[in-house]
Amino acid sequence: MKKLVLALMAVLAVVALTACGGQKSGKTLTLMQNKPEIDAQLKAYAAEWGKKNNVTVVIKSIGGTSGGMGPQLKADYAAGDMPDIFAFDGLEAYKEWEGVILDLSNEPWVSKTSVAFKYNGKVYGFPVAVEGWGMAYNADLLAKAGIDPKTLNNYEAYKAAFEKLNAMKKELGIDSVVSMAASVEMGWVTAHHNFNSLLSNGLPYGDLSVVNDLLAGKVDEQRLSEYADWVELLFKYADKTVLLTGNYDAQVGAFAAGKAVFLHQGNWVDPNMKTANVTFKMAFAPHGSMKQVTDGIFVAAPSFYAINKDSKNLALAKKFLNDFVETPEGNNYMVKEALMIPAFSNITLNPEGQLSKSVQEWASAGKVYSWNQYYFTGDFRDKILTPIYNQFAAGKISKSQFVALMKKAFEENAKK
Amino acid sequence: MKGSMQKESQLVFWLFLLPALFAFIMVMVIPFFMGAFYAFTNWSSSAKLDGGLKFIGLKNFIDSFKDPAFIYSFGLTGVYTLLSMVTVNLIAFALALLVTSKLKLKNIYRAGFFIPNLIGGLILGYIWQFIFNNAIPALGKVIPFLSALADPQNLMLSKNTTAIIAMVIVSTWQYAGYIMMIYIAAIENVPEELHEAAKIDGANSWMRLRMITLPMVAQAFTVTMFLTLVFSFKQFDVNVSLTSGGPSTMLMNKPILGTELLALNIYNTAFISNNLAMGQARAVIFFIVLAIISLIQVYVNKKKEIEL
Amino acid sequence: MISKKKIGLIILEFVTALLFVAFIFPFYMVIINSAKTAFEITQYPLSLPERFGNLFTNIVKIWKNEAVRYPASFLASVIITTVSLLLINLFSAQAAWVLARTKTKVSSFIFFIFVAAMVIPFQIVMFPLLSWFRTITNITGIPLLRTYLGIIFSYIGFGAPLSIFLFHGFIKSIPLELEEAALIDGCKKHEIFFKIVFPILKPIQATVLVLNGIWIWNDFLLPLLVLGKGNTIQTIPLAVSNFAGAFVKQWDLILTAILMAMIPIIIFFLFAQKYIVKGMIAGSIK
Repeated sequence: MKKLVLALMAVLAVVALTACGGQKSGKTLTLMQNKPEIDAQLKAYAAEWGKKNNVTVVIKSIGGTSGGMGPQLKADYAAGDMPDIFAFDGLEAYKEWEGVILDLSNEPWVSKTSVAFKYNGKVYGFPVAVEGWGMAYNADLLAKAGIDPKTLNNYEAYKAAFEKLNAMKKELGIDSVVSMAASVEMGWVTAHHNFNSLLSNGLPYGDLSVVNDLLAGKVDEQRLSEYADWVELLFKYADKTVLLTGNYDAQVGAFAAGKAVFLHQGNWVDPNMKTANVTFKMAFAPHGSMKQVTDGIFVAAPSFYAINKDSKNLALAKKFLNDFVETPEGNNYMVKEALMIPAFSNITLNPEGQLSKSVQEWASAGKVYSWNQYYFTGDFRDKILTPIYNQFAAGKISKSQFVALMKKAFEENAKK
Repeated sequence: MKGSMQKESQLVFWLFLLPALFAFIMVMVIPFFMGAFYAFTNWSSSAKLDGGLKFIGLKNFIDSFKDPAFIYSFGLTGVYTLLSMVTVNLIAFALALLVTSKLKLKNIYRAGFFIPNLIGGLILGYIWQFIFNNAIPALGKVIPFLSALADPQNLMLSKNTTAIIAMVIVSTWQYAGYIMMIYIAAIENVPEELHEAAKIDGANSWMRLRMITLPMVAQAFTVTMFLTLVFSFKQFDVNVSLTSGGPSTMLMNKPILGTELLALNIYNTAFISNNLAMGQARAVIFFIVLAIISLIQVYVNKKKEIEL
Repeated sequence: MISKKKIGLIILEFVTALLFVAFIFPFYMVIINSAKTAFEITQYPLSLPERFGNLFTNIVKIWKNEAVRYPASFLASVIITTVSLLLINLFSAQAAWVLARTKTKVSSFIFFIFVAAMVIPFQIVMFPLLSWFRTITNITGIPLLRTYLGIIFSYIGFGAPLSIFLFHGFIKSIPLELEEAALIDGCKKHEIFFKIVFPILKPIQATVLVLNGIWIWNDFLLPLLVLGKGNTIQTIPLAVSNFAGAFVKQWDLILTAILMAMIPIIIFFLFAQKYIVKGMIAGSIK
């Protein structure tokens, strides 16, 4: 018993000591962001920046699946401990935090980007980076099969190419033509990214006509049925194991190992390709979700930094964001350290990854389509659409049922 | 004299109870009632412009029961709980019998069977995902007569019926060692003399199990059933990491998540659907149902205890 | 000449050994995959690593990682777990003792509430707990969020129901005569508890310590809420979760970190193992 008490006292003493030692004096600036993969780089940059500006910058990186940062922000809001700067991904998240997000319309960086988050004509979000996806292809395998990637820009071209590649499986040493994932865990590939083909493919950048129609419950049956053909094609030529049960690693791994010619993912897989020591050439081709030619890929800012209105360090927070754009150190961090494609026109550095380069090429040629999936709620995408895609992928429903279920989903969503 | 003793007794009662009771009231009881209150509001714990806490009566509850996904979750959780209660207890009891027999390495086995408890459920789920998706098909490719295992159509996690069985397997593996410990304790508590006497009377080991061990450990069943019931009903970690609620299935002509247990449904309602207050309402329903079921279970078990 | 019984025993031993392997297989998976590179893990999860030396490389990586702050996180986990355990153990034992020995309506009602609380889903209380703590801090000035005080206090509250349940069962099995004799000898009531009852409770204390210890050491959600992410105090599970990206998971580092987080609890378990069974013999089943 005495020993126990002694041990307890010792531990309590340590607690008291560390608790006091833990308190930092001086100003702090807190940033919460949703890309744990750049956590180390951002922390290193923020530490340097903090030294120069005489402030401690605390970076909080929240990863994980389902819901991501949402629960943490809500918890911190309940705890009265909101960060000074936080990331959000689109309209729905903006609405959730509208009450605390600062108007950034007059910031100097606004004129240098075309992808800032705007709402009712005002700028509320600093674009963290530019990302893009299309059909990533293994150029070496396509060359071997005698297919020119430039021809891949509509449904017919893809259908022919997939059939040809499928017939050459043995020669090419592949398991399947395309590495696609449609499990519930991977709902973001189907019900977010692939879904966007329906919403924006072939339309001028920022055109919301299809989105607004669908939100109102008006379904363009022709467009939807062409899209369903495309989804069917992707599922048909995918490896069933990866399609139905694969996670991100399995999906990307199959492409990296040369077991699939195409990968339905974005330029964020570049670091994975690097760790897998991939040597083949790769780039993006457009989606073939329509009969008409759609010559462009989907490019936008995946997330934005918002400044908390109630922050005690507004000036510092604004300066922190601005310095990403205006200082060589900030530019270097974004492009060379975090390996992101910068969203600002004044930055001349180029990213190293093959797919990131491909995104930049498409973007500088102006051949881009927007990301419109965020106009639909997370609830609609994750709980209504994801199971529909999953049923279709598993072969439990036919294409006509898929179309009918999608149509019904839009109609019911409009009634809410 | 007697009066002062009683007063002292009273004082000690409250003094001894106070620290635990105080902490318990502060972190569980009060937040519980706050949470139950929020279930009747539009609370969101965020900075929505049209914020402001509004009382909306039973709307969250009524809407929950109109949602096929929630109804499905309820039924599924019932099935899952029943299955895991049976398998966990059977396996745990069998393991307990094994490690209380005359095996040489029984102490090592005991530790080994308990060990899955030491890892958190999230991690367990990820490890088992590897096993179901990679290891088992790999086995199928190597061993000829098991080749069916390598067929993507037969992957356990690719169909919702087999995926729920996969979850039962994982939770059995996770909790069997824990429940085993309780059975071991109960079995070791049976006086050796009873067995000796029965042996002399010519009872074989099956008869001794039926006539001596089972009745003597009947009390343990009440506890083990209660614990497995509560654990299974509350299952969340393994659900998230093993299946994320998939694959999908159809109910009332609507595709929904096929392995989404109640705890995950509540979580998804609160954060994916961004409806924290409805999540609270569902948690309240969840609480009421679990409380009733466990009361019935304990009552029935207690009755059985006496009969055995 | 081998008797039938002996053959039976050998078969039994063999079956049990197989089961044993099945139970520890995932640990084996964690260990071999900790020694691989990220790509090897996803492509060849079952094969042995090319070089076991990688394990040490990965351990060093975790040790030095800025986000994990392993030494600091480890210390925080140790502090939170030990202090919470000691206090849960003491407070629950004394509460269970007076509840078991006082036969009044109030007493049985309080005990019933404790047991009933075991079925409360954490989802109901998690967010209200935060705003409640915030209110307390605003009124009294006692900081409960982001502090050791708050998290340990929470663990005492959340740990009390199961612990009191276990102690209560055990205490009922102790003959009352001991305590009555001490009372006649002129012992004060609180002395009876500390001098006589508490030492008898040793085996069930071991059980309570191990069960709560496993829970607190591995717990993720409560620290996430009360301590928050990326603040000064961070436990090991919070630190490990820093590797779990939204899309990309760094499996090699996650598994190594898990391994490093597991080792202390395994050592603790093996050390306390022999007490657990003893504790449960009379404990939870009465």
